[in-house]
Amino acid sequence: MLFLEGVPLFYLELAIGQKMSLGSIGAWTAISPYLGGVGLASVVTSLYLCLYYNIINAWSFWYLFHSFQSVLPWAECPINSNRTGPTEECEKATPTQYFFYRETLNIAPSIEENGGIHGGQALCLLLAWVITYLFIVRGVKSTGKVVYFTATFPYAVLLIYLVRGITLHGAINGVKFMFTPNMEHLADPNTWINAATQIFFSLGLGFGSLIAFASYNHYNNNFERQAIVVSLINSGTSIFASIVTFSIYGFKATVNYESCLERTRVLLLNTFNIAEDNINIDNVFEWIEKLNTTYPEQFAKLNNKLEECDLETELSSAVEGAGLAFIVYSEAIKNMPLPQLWSVLYFLMLLMLGMGSMLGNVTAIITPLRDFKVMSHMSSELFNGLVCVFCLLLGLGFTTTSGNYWFTIFNDYGATFSLLFIVLIEVITVSYIYGLKRFEKDIEDMLGHRPNWYWKIMWSITSPLLLIFLFIIYIVKYINGGTPTYQAWNKELGTSVVTEYPVFGQLFIGLLLVSSISCVPLTALYVFCKKRKLGNHEKREHTVSTVSA
Amino acid sequence: MLEKILLLFCLSSALAENLCRPDASNGYKVRLSIKRALGDEAYVWNQDEMFLFRATLAFAMRNHLSGQDFQVSNILVCDETPRVSFWFIVTSPLDATRPVGKEDVEEAIRKSRSRINSAFLLTDQTLEFIGIIPTLAAPVSPDTPPWLIVFGVVMGSVGAGIIVLLVYPVVHKRLKKDEEEEELEEEEGEEETRRVKTMENGAAGDGAHNLSFTDDERFTQM
Repeated sequence: MLFLEGVPLFYLELAIGQKMSLGSIGAWTAISPYLGGVGLASVVTSLYLCLYYNIINAWSFWYLFHSFQSVLPWAECPINSNRTGPTEECEKATPTQYFFYRETLNIAPSIEENGGIHGGQALCLLLAWVITYLFIVRGVKSTGKVVYFTATFPYAVLLIYLVRGITLHGAINGVKFMFTPNMEHLADPNTWINAATQIFFSLGLGFGSLIAFASYNHYNNNFERQAIVVSLINSGTSIFASIVTFSIYGFKATVNYESCLERTRVLLLNTFNIAEDNINIDNVFEWIEKLNTTYPEQFAKLNNKLEECDLETELSSAVEGAGLAFIVYSEAIKNMPLPQLWSVLYFLMLLMLGMGSMLGNVTAIITPLRDFKVMSHMSSELFNGLVCVFCLLLGLGFTTTSGNYWFTIFNDYGATFSLLFIVLIEVITVSYIYGLKRFEKDIEDMLGHRPNWYWKIMWSITSPLLLIFLFIIYIVKYINGGTPTYQAWNKELGTSVVTEYPVFGQLFIGLLLVSSISCVPLTALYVFCKKRKLGNHEKREHTVSTVSA
Repeated sequence: MLEKILLLFCLSSALAENLCRPDASNGYKVRLSIKRALGDEAYVWNQDEMFLFRATLAFAMRNHLSGQDFQVSNILVCDETPRVSFWFIVTSPLDATRPVGKEDVEEAIRKSRSRINSAFLLTDQTLEFIGIIPTLAAPVSPDTPPWLIVFGVVMGSVGAGIIVLLVYPVVHKRLKKDEEEEELEEEEGEEETRRVKTMENGAAGDGAHNLSFTDDERFTQM
């Protein structure tokens, strides 16, 4: 995926940005006036991303601030009012899940029930936006300096975590699990769609942030080398990070497995009154069989209390997205020695990464908007401040009790489909509408040499085909999938339940998908109508629009 | 005479045995997990330890029902297992055949739980009285939650940073303006070229306006 799509498209976007020296809307209007909508779609997608992405930073802040306690709050269940035991909800679920769903989110049982805003979340979101504003207030100059820190610090933390992770008990199980390919998963087309969208997200393709950043480059900047180097470093980092992730994951799975065995051992000891050191963790299973044969009736009574302890199941119990970062990881961290230090390091790293991403997203919105004459009269500080306040106010909706379900809608549907569409249109436009020859000449103008045959084949044939293929699979999956569902947290059961989206939820999903994609045809239509109205001025308008936009 | 005493002795011990049995209505089951609590430093459970247990329980009963002199012999123990679990029952000091009510025993144990635990170097989880749920320690809740303090610190510093960033260029410009006003009076002629220069510098250095290239385009095309 990286070589077939990632690097060629990265190169393409950098070239466009550097050549046109405009934000995404202006750049695409310059390529072809009918396709200014592509830039607009990028801006809309970036706007959605900005709205919901900072919530993740807010959660990171929340967890970071809560790490400064002698006992981590997600390590133990809080005690109920009678002081007889832990709270019911916490007992059915795990303490980490309880902390995330109840204390961090105060989540409602379904998307339909609305509640008040979670005060702590709102404060953390405010802080996240204030820090974002701090980084972008002076424009790209300050953003550039900030990124020196936010990009290098996570590497340092990852290195520390790599050393810590590999030396953890049971880490090797996780790494082994990561490198054993699962044939069923590889045959499933879903895996490949996820890989493709992950490459887009990871490299930032289709958001307009690359075009925005490249527009500030010198005209003759050697972006070809930068494109290759950045993409390779990006994927190298992903592999590095996944080794760390899986070693910690293996640790968590092993700890859970061993505590399951311990609980079984105590249960056997207590029921059959055997001396304590006769059963230890290694021979629990042998003892189970022995006791089953010698005392069958007593053993049968145990059956509902006896848990199935299996390391493979623990390793395969995958949680994805926000759940992985906050639930699984905090569970692993609480078992490490000196958990406060590891917790602070980990959430600081998450914050650096999240803030770095936010910078790209916000710049992707601000740069094209500043290209419009209306906005350029305002000082940059004021404009940036207005954008931040606007996103903050809308983002407060995600801090309500049902906010996490809306967040999931945005996360699952806000960007993936639109990205595929935008990137597909981008590559087809540049290859066929703008013309590959013209593009080659532009690159030669900037770099001094033409792109070699590999790039040309990728842009004109491979990438479009691959993208169309993925696009079709995505649509087919959506149609075949039936009503979209989400995981709702059930308080009584202490677990997530698969629930269908209500009608307004599905309408909203449709609205999200349609709103960003429809920018392209709508803008084309608008430009077409405008041109017909001003028939004779067509030629002059063509040259003028590249300047005024 | 001797036979009568013997008979009475046998009778009382038989009664005692009858009183203490598993699932007795007035008895409790005790379970100790010594190896789990102490690991390598675990002591062996023998009759001496059992004596200590009975003595501690007699102490607990005395503590609760003051006035009644419970003796070690009032604590009857039976059904010992290798797990180290057994049943016990408490008889009244006034009448060895009458067991003390379950509620009194429970209250007595609850009151002196920490003393009983520490006599055996165990905890609520490793010295279990089946049926008596330990009262958990009350959670410590500080007046200001600690996370709010950290939040305040970070928010304050970020706010200060923003104010500095916004105010600094304004102050800087005002100082520079005062300096320039003096120089302007001397170099009136070169004003236009300097203005053009500052505009170009401003456009390239600011970074926010990237229209400088498009200006060039306009000139070259027309």
